[in-house]
Parts: sequence; C-alpha cells; structure tokens
Amino acid sequence: MVLTTSCAPQGSTSQGREISSLYDIFLWIAAGVFLVTAGLIAWSIIRYRAKPGDDDLPEQFHQNLKLEVTWFAIPQILVVVLFVLSAFALNEVNEESPEPDAVVDVTGFQWGWRFTYDGSGKEVVGTPQEPAKVLVPVGNVSFVLTSADVVHSFYVPDFLIKRDAVPGRDTRIDVNVDAGVYDGVCAEFCGLLHARMPFTIEAVSQEAFQQWLQEPPEGVARGDG
Amino acid sequence: MATAEPAIVAGAHEPRGVAGWLTTVDHKRIGILYVVTAVGFFIISGLLSLLMRAELAQPGLQVVNESTYNQLFTMHGTGMMFLFATPLVAGLANYFVPLHVGAPDVAFPRLNALTYWLYVLGGVVVFSGFLTASGAAAFGWTGYAPLSEATYSPGAGVDLWIIGLILVGTSSILGAVNLMATIFGMRAPGMTMFRLPIFTWNIIVTLTLIMFSFPVLTAALAALFIDRNLGGGFFDPTQGGDPILWQHLFWFFGHPEVYIVILPFFGVITEIIPVFSRKPLFGYRGFVFATLLIGAYSFSVWAHHMFTTGSVNNPFFSAMTMLIAVPTGVKFFSWIATMWRGKLTFPTPMLFAMGFLFMFLIGGITGIFVASPPIDYAVHDTYYVVAHMHYVLFGGTVFASFAAFYYWIPKMSGRMMGERLGKLHFWLMLIGFNLTFFPMHQMGLNGMQRRVADYPAESGLEVLNAVSTAGSGIVALSIAVFLFNLFVSMKRGASAGDDPWQANTLEWATSSPPPHHNFKRLPPIRSERPVFDARHTGPADG
Repeated sequence: MVLTTSCAPQGSTSQGREISSLYDIFLWIAAGVFLVTAGLIAWSIIRYRAKPGDDDLPEQFHQNLKLEVTWFAIPQILVVVLFVLSAFALNEVNEESPEPDAVVDVTGFQWGWRFTYDGSGKEVVGTPQEPAKVLVPVGNVSFVLTSADVVHSFYVPDFLIKRDAVPGRDTRIDVNVDAGVYDGVCAEFCGLLHARMPFTIEAVSQEAFQQWLQEPPEGVARGDG
Repeated sequence: MATAEPAIVAGAHEPRGVAGWLTTVDHKRIGILYVVTAVGFFIISGLLSLLMRAELAQPGLQVVNESTYNQLFTMHGTGMMFLFATPLVAGLANYFVPLHVGAPDVAFPRLNALTYWLYVLGGVVVFSGFLTASGAAAFGWTGYAPLSEATYSPGAGVDLWIIGLILVGTSSILGAVNLMATIFGMRAPGMTMFRLPIFTWNIIVTLTLIMFSFPVLTAALAALFIDRNLGGGFFDPTQGGDPILWQHLFWFFGHPEVYIVILPFFGVITEIIPVFSRKPLFGYRGFVFATLLIGAYSFSVWAHHMFTTGSVNNPFFSAMTMLIAVPTGVKFFSWIATMWRGKLTFPTPMLFAMGFLFMFLIGGITGIFVASPPIDYAVHDTYYVVAHMHYVLFGGTVFASFAAFYYWIPKMSGRMMGERLGKLHFWLMLIGFNLTFFPMHQMGLNGMQRRVADYPAESGLEVLNAVSTAGSGIVALSIAVFLFNLFVSMKRGASAGDDPWQANTLEWATSSPPPHHNFKRLPPIRSERPVFDARHTGPADG
C-alpha cells in the first residue's frame, strides 16, 4: 500500500502532535478506501477480461437503486466522521492561550522576517544573507503575524503549522513548543527571493529566554549572525 | 429519420487548404484547431516544467536563476490551466457535442470561430510576456495581490498576462453560451435529455460552471489592471483595498475551474468504459445527478484554498469540500459496476481510462486530507499540494485526455492510432508520472515549500527530488512516443471505418471523419446507446 509511505513528522508542538495523529487516522481510513476501491477495479480488470473468440454480449444490467443509495450513503457517513474528527482537532489547534509565556510579533517583508518582543524593545531582523535567529521560551508562545508588503506565510515545518502574514491585518498562531531548535521558511510565494527567507527559532527555558531578552539587541543580532 | 439540412448554411463552401482552416466555421475543423493548439500549449508548458525539474534535480542553482524560475512556474500553471486544459475541453466539446446530439453544427458557427481566434490571441498575448524586458509574469498562476500589483511586479509582462487571460476568459464564456444553445436547441428528434451521452451531460455542467465562474475572474483581472495602471486600490491595503479580496475572487473562479477541467474528462472515461466493457453505463441517472451535485457544490468550496489566511470560515469550507467527495465516489462505483461482469478489452483508450481510475483515486483521496484544515495547516503551500493537484490534473485530466485522443482520433482523422506505440506511451507515462509526483507527497510532509528554485543541501530532500526529476524525463519521453505515433498513424494508420470500437453514441453512426454537416441520416434514438441499439436490432427502420 503506497500511501502508507507518506507519514507526517511527529511535530514539536502539542498542536503539531494533534495534527500528526489526525493525519494518521486519515491515513488509515484512506488506506482502507484505496484498498477497497482499487481492489474492485483491479478485480474487474482481471476477472472480467474478455476471453478470445467470445463474442456474446454480457448481461446488460442498467441500474439498481438500492445499491446506488448504499454507495451514496457509505461515503456520506465516512466524510461526516472525518469532518467531525477534523473539526475537534481544529478547535484544539486554533485555541488561543489566554496567558502565553511569550508573545512574539513577526513581520514578513521582501525578503526576511522581523521579530519583536512585546514590552522588551527586543528586535531581531533577518535578511537573505543573515537569517534571523530568535529564542522563545518552552511552553505557550503566541506569534502575531503581519506583513510589510506582500502576503507571506510563517511556516515552521516541525510545528506542522503555518499561517499567512497578510499586509494590513494581524493573524495569530498559538503553539505549545518543546525545547529544541527549529528551522522556518516562508511558505507563500512572495517574489524573487521567496526561497531565501529562512529563520531559526530556539525554544529554551524561561530563564534563558529572559536573559536573552535583556541582552542589548545590537550585540545579539550580530553575535548570532 | 434524417435531420433537415438548414436552408442557409454558414460556411457551406469553404476554400481549400490553409485558407480553409483559417476561415473555417465548421465545428469539426474548429474542434481540431482547438485540440491541436491546446496540445501545442501543453508541450510548451510541459517544457517549462522540465526546466523546473532540471533546476530542482539537486540543491543549489544550476540551470536557471530565481527570476527565470519564478516565470517558469507561473507560465507553466497559466499555460496548463488556461491554454491547455480549458481549451482542450472546448475543442473536444466543439467536435463531439454536435455529433452527440445529432446536430449539423453548433448554434452559432461564426461565433464559434471567433471564440477560437480569441483564445489563440489571448494565448499569444500571455506568452509574449517572455519577450518584454522584465520577462513574463512571475507570481504564480494564482496572481496573488499585492505581489501582482505594480509596486511589486512592475513589468509589462504582467499586463500582458492580465489582458491575455481576459481574452481567453471571454472566449470561454462565449463558447459556453454557444454550446449550451446547441445542446438545448438542436437535439435530433428522439434525443431527450436523459438519452444524451454522459460526455455531453458533463459538458452541460461544465458550461454552466464556465458561465458563472469566468465572469468573476474577468472582473478580478479588470480590477487588478485598474489597480496597476489607473491607480485603483481594490487589492492594495495602503489604499484601503484588501489582498484577501483577490483570493476570494480568484478562487471563486479557481475552484469551479478545477471541475471545468475534470468533469468533461469524467465524461470521456464514462464514454470509454461501457464501450470496452460491452455493457451500458451502470446507473445513468445517478451519474447525471452526481455530476449536477458536483457542479452545485463546486461553488461553495473555494475558500479551502485559504484555510491558512485566518480570514475565512474554515469549518464551513472544510465540510463542503468533504461533501463534494461523495458524488465523486458515486462515479467510481458507477464505473466499477459498469465493468462488473462485463467482457473487458484493453486497447489503448481503455488502458488510459484504467490509468485514470487509479491515479485520480489517489488524487481524490489526498483531496480529503487537504480538506481538513488542521492537516492543511501542515501541508498547505508545500509539495504535498503539488503532488495532490498533479494526481488530479495530470493523473486525472491528462490521462483522460490521452484516453480521449486514442478513442476519438480515429473518428476525427479516419485512421487508427498505432496500438503498440500507444501501449508503450501508456506504460512510460504511468511509470514516469508516478516517479515524478509520488515522492512530492513526502517532500511536502518533510517541509519543502512550493515555488522555490532551491532547497537546502543535506535536508533529506535530495534523493526525492532526483527521483522526481528522473520521472519527468520519462514523462517527456512518453509524450515524444505519442507524437511519433500520431505522425506515423496519420500517414500510414489503418482505416478506421465508421465504428472501429463497436461503440454506443451517435458520432459512430457516421463516416470517419464525418461529412460536412455530420450525418447523411440518423439511426432512431430510443436510448442513450442509439448506435448499440441499431447494431443489435438490425438496420430495419434506420
């Protein structure tokens, strides 16, 4: 079964794990649907192949209302189940933490990201030559996103979440991050150097994070770059 | 029973040779012009994608720079969607709808010629962007604002892109009106709506989608043009406009567009499977109902392209998108039940139909994944989506296009296509297609975003990309085999006769190719299979 080779990464946020397990459920159901449908097609191809010289017409049946209602109902029920599972996961993933451990304002621009931290005056700006490296505390982090020019999309593959950064409005994602170092990219095509907007987020202890916030901004940007 | 010859017939005396083709108003010739031009744009757009795959074969920039790469994927998508798939539908419908309904031509033959030439003009204008100083449009075929605004994409290539697409869109709208009038006004006696071939039923729904969705695209493009050249502010947030509005308008067109380029090919497959199973389509009325339902649903799913904007009602669009899978599933069961206990043969058209079934099944199933907003948060704008849409549009539309070509070229030309080369074409394309696009699922899950000329080394993406590029070469080879087959078959192919496949529908009740105005006389039409009926009840009252 080819589809099972496509496995989602586990995710480094609780939201990502939620998405990953939803993906796995979808994958199992999809595998079942694929096997049944492809199996029936394959069976028909093999079993009902015409024998050479057999010119009689096969039985000419046209329809069977009961059968047709059944095969309308089964996928209908299946998609309702999938929708409900997906809707529960969506609520979990979209939930905004009332008191996040850090709020990071992120502005996408052609071509880099500006990270600022509420109330601390801390600002880190990345460029294609010198991508931004920022710290967040382990735990609940809110990223509030906007754009200075065109639409970008803030995407950390290990989080299994992305959200667009749209000029003229704020969007937001809330994630509960594990300790670790995570690479991010821009996912929405934004012009010439779209592929050159990487950034790195390191999730560290609250103490280390606070200490980093106190460091003079100039030094950090240069020292890390 | 014969259709009455109209008293005054447009284009009854056309000049010979090239001048005849350039001035023709015959629906069959216009149909062939459409198909040949569409295949031309398929080859051009395909070559662009081969350049992209060559660039992505390994990390780093080797073949093109970023600016060129961005033009390549923009024009690949634009070319394939607007200048190949949609016009190919127009071409096949132009040729076969009048034959299917037993009519001598379309309702408005001169309008028909106009729609074709508008399409050619639009296509040339779109691609002429490559000749401008700043190159062709380079913001993706979706043209997201404000990237497509003058501030960020100042080149003339963008304005040519807009104008060309408005011309092509206008052509589609006019063509839809024309064919709709043909189907509703020119059916032969006995051809009731529930005796129409399924291909033509699918075309009815497709035309409806064109008439409701293309005007929205045209309006959006006009607004973008005004923004760029006349200081409008529709999509510019600094002037009170809204970039998300562009996405709404584009996808209100763009998602029905996906059905515009797949429903006719459901129709093609549904013509082919009964013929080569030697059975009637199982559940004709259910199939028509499912097609109507897909058409209706297709206007309420557009914002599933916008789950990650944070600006749309994700649960609603997720629910509608999952619902649309149901009537599509019904079609699969209809196809399987048609083959069930039949007597199946597998000449090339049927092989491609089988390839369609398996490949479109994979594309349909991954469609359910991306219909779930949380899963979409992970895979949106990654190669996973690229894989999904190519299993739908290549595994679906392109495989079914070749099924249509092998099935109908004998009717259009009077000559059979070579079977051995046809089978070689099929197997090469099946293998090449899967090598190219299956690994993209995993690239996307591993975090490779779309529309990038480069990706980091040692990211685990190198092998997947190398396999994909190798696959694209095999696809290219398979297309070369097809073109060679076409060339040889048109020169030396066996004569097709009226009805080489022992088929069902009216196009097979006339010569190959059909004469001017199509039918000397029509068989009686008492079911959706008049030619089958005539064959099995004898020619008694023909």
